[in-house]
Amino acid sequence: MKKIWLIGGAPLAGALIAAGCATYPDAATTRQIAEKMVHESFTASPAHAKRLAQDRSQQICSKIDGAPLTQEEAAEVVRLARASIRYPDSGKLMGDWKRGDKLAHNGAGDRIRRGKVEKRKENGALCQNCHGLAPGEINVGNVGPALTGYGVQRGTSEAIVKLTYERIFNPWAFTPCSNMPRLGANRHLTPEQITHMVAYLLDPASPINKR
Amino acid sequence: MPRMVRGVAAFAVACLAAGGVTLAPAQSGDDPLGVGRRMLLEDNPGEIWIDKGKALFHEKRGPKKASLEQCDFGMGPGKLEGAAARMPRYFPDTDKVQDLESRLITCMVRLQGFDEKDVVKRAISPARSSGSDVEALALYVTSRSNGMKVDVQLSHQKEYDTYKAGEYLFFRRSGQTDFGCVQCHGEANKRIRLQDLIHMTSKAGAQEVASTWPAYRGAHYVVRTMQWRLNDCVWQMRLPDLNYGTDYAIALTLYLNRNGNGAEMRVPGFKR
Amino acid sequence: MPEPMKIRATLKGDTADVRILMLHPMETGQRKNSKGQIIPLHFIQSVLVTHNGKTVLDAQWSQAVSRNPFLGLRVKGAKAGDKISVTWTDNKGEKQTDEVTVAAAS
Repeated sequence: MKKIWLIGGAPLAGALIAAGCATYPDAATTRQIAEKMVHESFTASPAHAKRLAQDRSQQICSKIDGAPLTQEEAAEVVRLARASIRYPDSGKLMGDWKRGDKLAHNGAGDRIRRGKVEKRKENGALCQNCHGLAPGEINVGNVGPALTGYGVQRGTSEAIVKLTYERIFNPWAFTPCSNMPRLGANRHLTPEQITHMVAYLLDPASPINKR
Repeated sequence: MPRMVRGVAAFAVACLAAGGVTLAPAQSGDDPLGVGRRMLLEDNPGEIWIDKGKALFHEKRGPKKASLEQCDFGMGPGKLEGAAARMPRYFPDTDKVQDLESRLITCMVRLQGFDEKDVVKRAISPARSSGSDVEALALYVTSRSNGMKVDVQLSHQKEYDTYKAGEYLFFRRSGQTDFGCVQCHGEANKRIRLQDLIHMTSKAGAQEVASTWPAYRGAHYVVRTMQWRLNDCVWQMRLPDLNYGTDYAIALTLYLNRNGNGAEMRVPGFKR
Repeated sequence: MPEPMKIRATLKGDTADVRILMLHPMETGQRKNSKGQIIPLHFIQSVLVTHNGKTVLDAQWSQAVSRNPFLGLRVKGAKAGDKISVTWTDNKGEKQTDEVTVAAAS
């Protein structure tokens, strides 16, 4: 970083910049530069380009270097998340654990390559990527807490079924800016699929609750 | 993925036990699979592409029938020793910050007359192929920094801008996964399934990123580069196609490489 | 088309530490291409390593060895300047021979 000292010894910012002394840009400038990069670095149809835009919650939750949320920000994220929750038309929140089991181990779905979305019957729930599942499974991630025995501790009361459903639909309603995707709110999973995830987690017959 | 060859299976293990491989402290992959990858790191097949890259570097190619010997990677035309260890950096002739790969493309277009679209299209080779010219060249040029310390400096304003942009992008969440890089690479001892994740917000993690690309990707049997890696992450994040050699990738690379200053360059790396 | 190997032979005391990288598809004959057809078996069947013309390793490989194999061995009684020659032959009858000189310990 070159510094040019004027008569009197005090460097003047303008002269310094004019003389080529560089410095970190402020947050607003950084944002402008970076967003332009996002805009120009991808090839996307208008529909796919939406995936690059940030909603209000994502903007709040993109804190740099672990900077904390303010009370207001956390409250806003929770409020927006609560408002996003949708339930299946049937009103039945506990589906089929066998379907949930398949979905939990399925890490595919909705990825884009050369402009085309991968062709799958349905989107996977991605759970195995980050969470431990049934006992004895080793090929499981640990980005999130292990879900082994999830139902054993919690039972199947109406309250717990609803809570579990909502946590999967939009985890940010409970843990604002959690690392976990808002699978339901973002429409990666349908409400019906989420009912199968709930069953997979809570049904005593599910492998995740076996010893 | 141990390769058991009758009579010599013990060799690789003995090599490790005898201290032939130095394990850096607090490195990602202390689990058995990580240990296995480190055992395969020394003498990995990627080394064959160093020689291929060297040949391509000196060969007169393209419509202009020119070699890349005049390519300036920031230390003067044709000066390769230590160049990759100082990248990404600003280049006055293109007036932008460039990483190694985009700089290679610049030279292939300007010096050799290749069509940029063609070069970019073939830059990432299919798995199990003989690899692309870009991959071999990127590996060769980077290998000329082997043993040297990563030393990315910020002096031009665009370098400062790009570094901060890269930082911003690292934490930028978008798409239906709500992922930015930090969601997977922001904590120690994390893994996706059985693939350990580099803790990139730590010094050691950033150093690992900065010093191990290009790398032989075992499952693909070809050399892969940082541009490829970012493209693949973006794919898993359910974002649209990331174009090769664009600013999004360059900014993230500058951010990570600069944070990884001090690491000893050692390519080809070995990835699963 | 056979591709050249990358061979390094470094002297450690009186032993040459030899490291060989080979490029070969090592197809198991079980993989299918995108059309569903079996990709034919194609693998290195035998490897011969000689030291100054004398055989020091004679190996029979199978398709179980991975693509782009690495072979390491130690040759006792070597001196700087000795010739190490490696030849592989695959099931299609293709051969590749490469040679290096044992380098002095660094």
